[in-house]
Amino acid sequence: MADYQLFIDGEHVDALSGETFTTHDPGTGEAIGEIAKAGREDSVRAIEAARKAFDEGPWPKMSGAERGAKINEIADAIEAKAEKFSEMEARDGGGTIKKAMFADVPGAVGAFRWFAKLAIEEAEEVEVPGTAFPPSQNWVRHEPHGVTTGIVPWNFPFIMAAWKLGPALAAGNCAVLKPASFTSITALMLGEVFQEVDLPPGVANIVSGPGGTCGEELAVNPLVDKTAFTGSTEVGRRIMQLASGTVKPVTLELGGKSANIVLDDADLDLAAACVLWGTFFHNGQVCESGTRALVHKSIYDEFLSLLVDRAGKIVIGNQMDFETDLGPLVSRGQVETVERYVQLGRDEVGEPICGGTRPEGLAEGLDPAAFYTPTIFAGVPNSAKIAQEEIFGPVLSVIPYETEDEAIAIANDSIYGLAGGVQSSNLERARAVANRMRTGTVWINDYHLISPERPFGGYKQSGIGRELGPNGLRPYQQVKHIHANPGGTRDNYIHLSALSGNI
Amino acid sequence: MRVTSTDRAREVIAEMGGRRSGTLTVTIGTGCCESTAPFLYEDFWPGPDQARVGEVGGVVIYAPEYLRSQYPADDGVVLDVVDELAESLSVETELGCRLILRGPGFTTEGAPEACPVPVAGTIGRQVVGELPEALRGFRMR
Repeated sequence: MADYQLFIDGEHVDALSGETFTTHDPGTGEAIGEIAKAGREDSVRAIEAARKAFDEGPWPKMSGAERGAKINEIADAIEAKAEKFSEMEARDGGGTIKKAMFADVPGAVGAFRWFAKLAIEEAEEVEVPGTAFPPSQNWVRHEPHGVTTGIVPWNFPFIMAAWKLGPALAAGNCAVLKPASFTSITALMLGEVFQEVDLPPGVANIVSGPGGTCGEELAVNPLVDKTAFTGSTEVGRRIMQLASGTVKPVTLELGGKSANIVLDDADLDLAAACVLWGTFFHNGQVCESGTRALVHKSIYDEFLSLLVDRAGKIVIGNQMDFETDLGPLVSRGQVETVERYVQLGRDEVGEPICGGTRPEGLAEGLDPAAFYTPTIFAGVPNSAKIAQEEIFGPVLSVIPYETEDEAIAIANDSIYGLAGGVQSSNLERARAVANRMRTGTVWINDYHLISPERPFGGYKQSGIGRELGPNGLRPYQQVKHIHANPGGTRDNYIHLSALSGNI
Repeated sequence: MRVTSTDRAREVIAEMGGRRSGTLTVTIGTGCCESTAPFLYEDFWPGPDQARVGEVGGVVIYAPEYLRSQYPADDGVVLDVVDELAESLSVETELGCRLILRGPGFTTEGAPEACPVPVAGTIGRQVVGELPEALRGFRMR
C-alpha cells in the first residue's frame, strides 16, 4: 500500500496498477514516502466518480449557503492541522517552513474561505428586466458546469489545490485534481480533510501520476465539462487542444517574465527590497517573479550596489529552519536548468555581479547540488535569453533604461503578460505606468502580494481567464437565461406571425 | 536552431510510437516550471509560427519563431532522455523518463562553482525555531 494514496469517490485507494513512486526531500535527498502512481485508468475512475456525484448526488442540489458552510468546514479542518500541512509542504517541495506558514497554508485556508463566502452570498438566480412586449419575466441563473478538472504545478501545490477545488466546489461542481508528481503529498492529505467533514463521495477526487497519461485524461475525457491548468505555456497549449475535442472551457495560468520598473523618483531602499523580494522569494520558482528589473540610468549604479549588498545577506539552508530565507530548489534538474541559464548569461552578458554558483558552507547532509545562490546580471539587453526565457530560478536581469516610454516598451517586449511592478514615490505617475503595462497584475511599491479577494491571471501567452477575485466563481459556472411568456392569450404571440399567421 | 537526437531519445520515441495510435510530434516550448523544454505529444497541432527544426525516427520536431530567433545557429542541440520524475503532459512521462535538450545553451560543462553565503546551520526533519512575530496572522496569498 502506498504511504499516500489516491482519493477517489470518498476513499483512499492505491492505483489500479499497484504502482508507486518515491517522493524526496530535495535538500537532503531523503525519501519521504511512496506515492500511489495513477495511470489513465485511475483518472477515468476519478472522473466517473465525479460524474456520478454530480448527476446523482446531493452536492449540486444543495444551496450555495449549504455548500459554503461545508467549504468553511474544510477550511477549519485545514487550519486545525496547519502545522502538519506546513511541515509536509516544506519538506516535499523545498520551500521554506516560513513560506509554508505565512503563505501556503493560510493562503489555502483563505482561498477556501473566500470561495465559501462567494457561495453563501452570491444569488444563484437574479431576475432581469423582461421584454416590453410580450410582457415577459426573465431570469439569469449561474449553474455549475458539472465535472471540472484541475492540474497544478509544484511551486505552490497546496494553494493551487485550493484555487482549483475551492471555486469548483463552491459553484456546485464535482472535481478531480492532479497535483505535480514532485509535490503530491499535501494535496493527497486533503482527502483526510474531506472525509473528516463528510464531504459527499465523489465531490472532490485527487489523483497523482504522470502528466502524459493521468494528466492527459483529465483534459480529454468527454465526461469532463471544464478544465483548469496552472503551469508551463506549452502544456497550456496542449490542454487547449485536448479540451477542444468536446469544446470544454479552459482556464490557464501560464508562464511569465515579469518586469519590475524602478522609476528615477523611487525610494531606493524600499525599491531594492521589492526587487529582491520580487525575484528571490521561493528561489524565483514563482510564475509572476519580477526577474527583469528595469532601472533608470540616473540611479543605476547606486541601485546595483544596494542590490548586491542585500542579496549577499540572504540566508540559504535547511528549509525546515525559520532562519532560512531560501531552501533547496525543487529538484536537481531545476538547479541544472538554472546553471544552464547562468552559463548563457555569462556567454551573452558577462559575469554576474553576484551569485552564479552553488552555495558553500551548507550544513553537512544538505546537498549543495540542490541549492543555488541569488544571482544578478547587470547591463542585460532585453533580447538576451536570460531576459526573454523563463528560468524559474533565482536569477535577476537588471536592464537600464533612459525614458519611461522605453521602460514600458521593454516591459511589454515579452511573449508573456502575467505581472509586473512599478517602484516610485509618486503614486499618480506609477499608476500611469502600470496602466500601460500589458499584464494581469501590477504591484506598485511592492511585489508578489496575491490574495483570494483579488483577481489573478495573465495577458498574452500567460494564460486565459482569471482566478480568484469577486468574479472567482464565474469560470466554474454556466450562465442560463430563462424567458417566460405570460401566455394566456394570442395577443402575447404577435411575433409568431413573422413565420405564418396560421401556426 | 537545428535539433538532432541521441539513440536513447530515438528508442523512447519509438516505444511511445508503439503505444500511441496517433501521430507523434515533438514541440519545443517555454515558460513556468518547465522552462525551455521539448514535449512529445500525440496528434499535436503546430502553431502558426512553428517551423520544423529536426526529425527523430520520422517524428518531426517543431519550435516557435520566438525560440528559433533565440537559438539561430546550427550549434548542435541534441534531444536526449533523463530517467527521473517529471511533469508536463509529454507522453513519455508514462515511461518514468523525460525528454530534455542538451548541447550549447542547453547543458553546462565542467565542475560547478561554489561560494560561501550566509547559511542556516541546521538539518533534519524537525522544524527549527518559530514564525517571526511580525508574520504571525499575516496571510500573503
